[in-house]
Amino acid sequence: MKRVRLLSACLTALALAACGGGSGTGGGATAPAGTTGPASGASASRLVVGYDREPDTLNRFSTHILEDIESCVVEGLVTTDEHMTIVPLLAASVPTLENGGVVLRKDGGMDVTWKLRPEVKWHDGTPHTSADVKFTVEAINSPAYNPESTDGFDRITSVDTPDPLTAVLHYHEVYAPYALQFVRGTLPQHVLAGRDIDTANDYNRAPLGTGPYKVGEWKSGEYIRLDAVPNYWRGAQFPAIKTLLFKFIANTNTRITQLKSGEVDMVVMFPWDKHREVAAIPGVSVHRIDGNGYEHVTLNERAFPAFADVRVRQALTHAVDRALLSTTILEGLAPVTHGPVQPVSWAHNPNVRQYAFDPARAAALLDEAGWRDSNGDGVRDKGGQRFSFTLITQAGFAVRENVAQVLQRQFKDVGVEAAVQLHDGTSISKLWFEGKFHAMLHWWQLPADPELALFFAKDRMPPAGRNINYVSDDALTTLVYAADRTVSQAERTRILGEAQARIADLAIEIPLYGVTKLDAVPARLKGFTGNPTNTGPFWNVHAWTLE
Amino acid sequence: MPLLLIVSGIAFGLLQLVPGGPIEVYLSNPGVRPEDLERLRRALGLDRPLWVQYVSWLAAFVRGDWGFSFSDGRPVLDRIVERLPASLELLGASFVLALAAALPAGILAAVKRRTFTDRAISAVAAAGVSIPAFWLGLMLQLTFALGLGWLPSAGRGAEGDGLARLEYLVMPAAVLAFVHAAAWSRYLRASMIEVLAAPFVAAARARGVNARSRLTRHALPNALAPVATVILLDAALMVPGAVVTESVFAWPGVGSLFTEALGRRDYTVLMAMLMVSSVAVVAFNLLADLIHAWLDPRVAS
Repeated sequence: MKRVRLLSACLTALALAACGGGSGTGGGATAPAGTTGPASGASASRLVVGYDREPDTLNRFSTHILEDIESCVVEGLVTTDEHMTIVPLLAASVPTLENGGVVLRKDGGMDVTWKLRPEVKWHDGTPHTSADVKFTVEAINSPAYNPESTDGFDRITSVDTPDPLTAVLHYHEVYAPYALQFVRGTLPQHVLAGRDIDTANDYNRAPLGTGPYKVGEWKSGEYIRLDAVPNYWRGAQFPAIKTLLFKFIANTNTRITQLKSGEVDMVVMFPWDKHREVAAIPGVSVHRIDGNGYEHVTLNERAFPAFADVRVRQALTHAVDRALLSTTILEGLAPVTHGPVQPVSWAHNPNVRQYAFDPARAAALLDEAGWRDSNGDGVRDKGGQRFSFTLITQAGFAVRENVAQVLQRQFKDVGVEAAVQLHDGTSISKLWFEGKFHAMLHWWQLPADPELALFFAKDRMPPAGRNINYVSDDALTTLVYAADRTVSQAERTRILGEAQARIADLAIEIPLYGVTKLDAVPARLKGFTGNPTNTGPFWNVHAWTLE
Repeated sequence: MPLLLIVSGIAFGLLQLVPGGPIEVYLSNPGVRPEDLERLRRALGLDRPLWVQYVSWLAAFVRGDWGFSFSDGRPVLDRIVERLPASLELLGASFVLALAAALPAGILAAVKRRTFTDRAISAVAAAGVSIPAFWLGLMLQLTFALGLGWLPSAGRGAEGDGLARLEYLVMPAAVLAFVHAAAWSRYLRASMIEVLAAPFVAAARARGVNARSRLTRHALPNALAPVATVILLDAALMVPGAVVTESVFAWPGVGSLFTEALGRRDYTVLMAMLMVSSVAVVAFNLLADLIHAWLDPRVAS
């Protein structure tokens, strides 16, 4: 008897569960299909963002994930706008040589003076001052704290604070990207002084900032809710949108489904292969902006010595029909590119050598380099070695997997064999960091400041840097380091222009196309511009309105 | 205990075999310099020899110190515990749903053996065993969230939603339940057929016990005993089985934590989860033995 009762209890529980579901569905809590008015989504003052991952921490100096959410809360002294221009945010102006904010010292060092906006207060009402700037530098340089990067900070020897709104940074050597030193903001001294920042989870999970929003709730695995602050320094009319809800939805299909059902209003940086599907959703508009990154094929000269011959590299570049890639697989979404610095950057040199699609020229160059198909198997060889290499790329990107196959085919057409291998993101990082690959299809997303030394100087091969073409060219190395030691933008532009020309002449890698960023936003969202850099599209969130 | 020790060693070794580690995760940012990587490696203790890392982890773990997550620096225990309610909710609902479907289906298929009913149930069960959970999940989303608009497509709802939160549970629980119910109904069918053919059922019939009674009082309890064991062993595996379902439905349970931790090579979180799963399997084994004994007194004596 007991056992039967157990069974019926189960059935009762099931019936209850079913009823619960049933009664709820009648309540109309979800949007019927096809309607454009999202039910659980945007009201006039709420925006729901489908976000592909949960942040590790909201401390901008500790995180190693994009800072979209953080940038709504914690503001930098500067930010980069939709044209990639560095614009002042908490600073009154961007220091330059011309305005006297930057002074080069005789001993090879430099002094940078930051003037802060007087009206800015932390969310708790404490004024934002030069003491916070000084504290930030000291915290990051302290061995007790483990930020993601100490780049630039490690060149600062001391900070003077002559008054609460002035901070003077003394660098022991010239640091060209100095203007972006505080793009991630400052750490509040009055909250963090004397504490172990790595474990200060009250701050790391809900940082005190100066931005238009503060963290309302972080529900692990589900969402982060940001609430508008009442007295934002730009004026009480900002921000117009009172709540931002970032829902963590790792699965791309699910993110798009939620966009269709109106459960989310916005999906930033969605994959290109979803473009048509997303563009067709009523009430959603796709915003496109050219990013400061480029997809290319890295040719590892050390692991595959055939790539060390400039004629071979030029031949492989001639072998690729980039215009075809751009118009077919990429559906015209991404522009063909000819080098590592993109047109969006002030340092872009449009007059570098370009390699047109020319299989005959490619074949001639390979012949010249001594690679001929001596045994008639369709693959060139030299000294008994076949021209056969592996091309690695990251799994899970439909577009990239297709591009890899086209490359494989186009190399084959000039008698070169490439085997495509797919790896997950972290695995591929390890492979390139250890130089254990022949060729790799991937992108670099560059910071707003074009620093080429890290990628092309001969002494910056891993682990000392990211020169994973393993190129060793003295002229180029001199140029890229000279650019890093130059503060004048006009002079840097000239030097970086020469460096780009040298990179193109040597065909060090095969540049393919610029990385376009696609953001799906509500059609009634005004003020959205997108952003070409990792600053992210939320850089001007205070000015967004929903109509 | 020795078993769990061996499991921990194997798990630790396997994690090391997965290419890439917690440091490589940082490489996607060009601002992270070689000196930063070295500093972070030291900070995470990854500069020590592997066996030292393992022994120090083990020594701390057995004392109840599960360490800190490599990716967000919070205590591992906190990260796992905060995901448990969602996981238990999903697993509990799936378990009940699966039982509720598997029991009648299995019994019916056995009683109506080789009829249309049996074949139809078998066909559905075969589909349940072979359809991938992610595909079924997507199809349900297309149908019930986008097509009919009856249910939310993913997530768990907000705390204030009350009963409406159950709407979020329906699809993921159904997907997970379907897979398990399919297998369980097959076990039960086989077990029932065997028991229905046993002499004591025939004896009951000879004594004039009616068909309904023969089924519920004589055959079913005897058929259930071996099936209960299988179900409990299977239930222990529902946690890893929920990984895909949780991903498709953005369900904030332990499964999605596992996916995330694996992507970021968060060794401390992964080790703790593997150990907890091992303990769960052992515990469910024990529970299965106890329940089998309770259902079938012959086992106990």
